[in-house]
Amino acid sequence: MNDRITRRDYLRMLGISGLAIGTGSFDPSRALARGVGESGGFQSSVIARDKVQPNRANPVLIDGEVIQPQRKLQVFAETDVLVVGGGSAGIVAAIAAKRAGAKVTVVERYGHFGGLWTGGLVLVILGHIVKGPKQVCQGIGEEIMRRLDKMDGAIINRRTGSNPTVDAEAVKYLMVEMIEQENIDVFLHCWGVDAIMQDGAVKGAVFESKSGRQAILAKVVIDATGDGDIFAAAGAEFEHRSHNIGLVSRVGNLDKIDKSKAPPDAKPKHLGSATPVKGVNWVNLRGPMVDGLDVATLTRMEMNHRKFIWNNIRKTRSIPGYERLYLVETAPQLGVRITRVLDGLNTVRLDHLKNATKFPDVIGVGGASNAEHGEWQIPYGALVPEKIDNVLAAGRCISAELRMADLVRLIPNCFVTGHAAGVAAAVAVRDRCSPRDADVSKIQKILRQQEAYLG
Amino acid sequence: MNTAGPQTDSSAASAGAKRHLRLIIRCTCLVAAVLCLLPVLPKGSLMRYVPAASAFVAISSLLATKTFQPITALGFITALLTLLRHRWFCRWICPVGLCMDGVSCLGRRLKRKPSQEIQFGRLLVALTLGGAVLGYPLFLYTDPLALFSGIFLAATQATVLLSWISALLFAVLLIAGVLWPNLWCGRVCPLGAFQDLISMLSRYVRSLFATKTKRPAETSPGYRIARRTALGMVVGAGCAAAARRIGSKRTPALRPPGAIEETTFVALCTRCGNCMRACPHSIIERDLGENGWAGILTPVLSFENDYCREDCTQCTEVCPSGAIIRVLPDEKPNIRIGLPRVDMDICLLSEDRECSACMRWCPYDAIRYIFSEATYSLTPVVNPDRCNGCGACQTACPTKPVKAIRIAASLRT
Ligand SMILES: Cc1cc2nc3c(=O)[nH]c(=O)nc-3n(C[C@H](O)[C@H](O)[C@H](O)COP(=O)(O)OP(=O)(O)OC[C@H]3O[C@@H](n4cnc5c(N)ncnc54)[C@H](O)[C@@H]3O)c2cc1C
Repeated sequence: MNDRITRRDYLRMLGISGLAIGTGSFDPSRALARGVGESGGFQSSVIARDKVQPNRANPVLIDGEVIQPQRKLQVFAETDVLVVGGGSAGIVAAIAAKRAGAKVTVVERYGHFGGLWTGGLVLVILGHIVKGPKQVCQGIGEEIMRRLDKMDGAIINRRTGSNPTVDAEAVKYLMVEMIEQENIDVFLHCWGVDAIMQDGAVKGAVFESKSGRQAILAKVVIDATGDGDIFAAAGAEFEHRSHNIGLVSRVGNLDKIDKSKAPPDAKPKHLGSATPVKGVNWVNLRGPMVDGLDVATLTRMEMNHRKFIWNNIRKTRSIPGYERLYLVETAPQLGVRITRVLDGLNTVRLDHLKNATKFPDVIGVGGASNAEHGEWQIPYGALVPEKIDNVLAAGRCISAELRMADLVRLIPNCFVTGHAAGVAAAVAVRDRCSPRDADVSKIQKILRQQEAYLG
Repeated sequence: MNTAGPQTDSSAASAGAKRHLRLIIRCTCLVAAVLCLLPVLPKGSLMRYVPAASAFVAISSLLATKTFQPITALGFITALLTLLRHRWFCRWICPVGLCMDGVSCLGRRLKRKPSQEIQFGRLLVALTLGGAVLGYPLFLYTDPLALFSGIFLAATQATVLLSWISALLFAVLLIAGVLWPNLWCGRVCPLGAFQDLISMLSRYVRSLFATKTKRPAETSPGYRIARRTALGMVVGAGCAAAARRIGSKRTPALRPPGAIEETTFVALCTRCGNCMRACPHSIIERDLGENGWAGILTPVLSFENDYCREDCTQCTEVCPSGAIIRVLPDEKPNIRIGLPRVDMDICLLSEDRECSACMRWCPYDAIRYIFSEATYSLTPVVNPDRCNGCGACQTACPTKPVKAIRIAASLRT
């Protein structure tokens, strides 16, 4: 190949290619003349020429209706435990299942891990402290915190009784590191779209990606999509709820603000709270209460919030002393809090919190943001669908009544339910049974071995 | 009395035996009262009977509220029995009487003279009953059984300084009992004076009927007492009217559910502390006068640490005077204590924080967060038709040191 590098190629490699192309001296036939896999005139090479997309079964219009014909899907992988969604719950579930001895595959629709925690820029970790104060989120969630402690600029406010704030990029990085260390198979940019069913039991999931529509077969599927995409597709019953949808952002140069110059009545709003990056705050946004499963709504929210955030920065900058404030970024992922919530065998209820109910099938303990109340146990039944087999919920879509959903969905509580779902799935795989029939005492034993706190 | 020797002996012996019996009964009553008032018996439901045994409280309650409160039945029985036997309650039952007799004994040993002051108690009674007719029983809180009950608040709320005040007052009375033996029971105690009044008036009325031919002299003691009492009641009513006028300007206060209209409430409340003792979550405290001097030491609610439970009516079951009337569990959601006010300067929602504490803890589902396009943030909004001011939101609110959502008292009518 060496002999084929021309002077022009060389210049291009040095980064002045634009000029050459701009002069019109580019000959497309030269690139085409090369063989498959060669890097010709571009930083790109031909993988397959004259290709027609295989395995097509285009929807057809019949009497004005779009009909999807039957089609055979390529089985891309087979695994013990398939985790759909690589958010805070999904990643912890994957690590837990792997450590409990299962072969694990993770499918994530975006290019990074962490879900709302990172892509949603939800940087403050709330809900792991109970009266005492005492931290109830232990196990893999706490392991992640400890690893963040050791990283530079990754986490602040790590005292018992306070709510830590992380740097999203540090978390994204750490999750890659942990996934690789555990040897977990992952597929990013894969959008889980359906459940594969046999006799009322889930046998895997179908996902869409640039590779097309493919299937992964699994013995147990963990739905950590936050929205219950997979258990809903499988036919499990759920409650469809609306909640506040916001868009989180980060603003910078807060250390260069001179409040003394501002008029006393100026009260700039939406400036958020501190992050590990000096002078940068994360700005939460609650937003209106709407349906996060409606794509028109999602679109409207993205556009409205974006306009608001930009205009608010502009307005704030016009206050004397605030001129240097700037918008660092808006979250790549819209802040959808609650959409589908599973109808589980058991349900997390406020009364359980009030009465400090103890469950024989406890798989974790939830907390509060400011240690304002005691421990509340999470029963295994809250992760298990009433009817459908071989699928478990983890994270913000587990079975919880309206009043408790706002506690259940907090990041540490997602760690806790993710951890339990991972271990339970591995136990079910090992014992060749449905997660519904999995031996809870075994699950609890392994959870404790993995340093989870069960009360 | 002037019969033969052996008989004198036997009657002296029987008098001695009777004195012994009386002492045993009095001591038993004292112990029983203390047991009722201490948090030792389950649920403490017996505590109501201690201040409710007061005839003075029962009659004042009837006059002030113009309704019969079932709990006052005991006081009425005491009053009826007084018609048969003068001051029987003081002699056989009253725990304060026993304590006072004890210290008076000591005083006499120290050669203190029994006091010969004016009949202060009768004045208290007349003024209070007169006021009660206008719904303002002026000095009801001087009732000895109420004061005695109040002492034991210190046992349940030992750490609250103000709960010791009744105990302190009682100690002062005991010391006064040593210095001026019999001053309290004979001259000041309104319950004693009230019994005197009942006996004297009944004798006077009976004499009116018994001697149809000879009308009792205008100078007869019964007539004098009746006249003085009537006069005192008129003065009491006048004072009550004045007090009500002043009181009507008062801002409403956070009273236990079932508390009657505020002005009558502050006067009809005996300060016995029963409601405070009964509250299983200790959210009822003594009023320091924040709601006007007339309401000092009355019960006020504090939601800082706990709230008024949706199924709890215990404080409404123990009020001896009907200042707090009985509330049934079914009625509880409709009894308004107050309404929450949100201070948006400190509410976490104004900082876009991920808080939903007040909404979650509201037992009546009365709070919603409404999004405003103008501020682009959420505001808690309370539905007054659902809310009864139980304070759960205030208890749950995480802001420190001041809660962003606080219950403001509502006007009770
Ligand atoms: C604006 C906002 C502010 C919040 N503030 C706080 C806070 O201050 N503190 C706190 O503790 N919590 C907060 N929360 C809640 C918390 O961030 C989330 O509830 C939590 O991160 C959810 O974790 P999860 O793993 O269950 O779901 P997610 O984080 O939503 O993860 C789901 C993952 O699955 C992926 N996915 C979804 N669907 C598919 C699919 N079909 N196929 C493949 N992948 C899919 C997503 O891309 C994502 O990575 C906030 C939430 C929001 C929205």
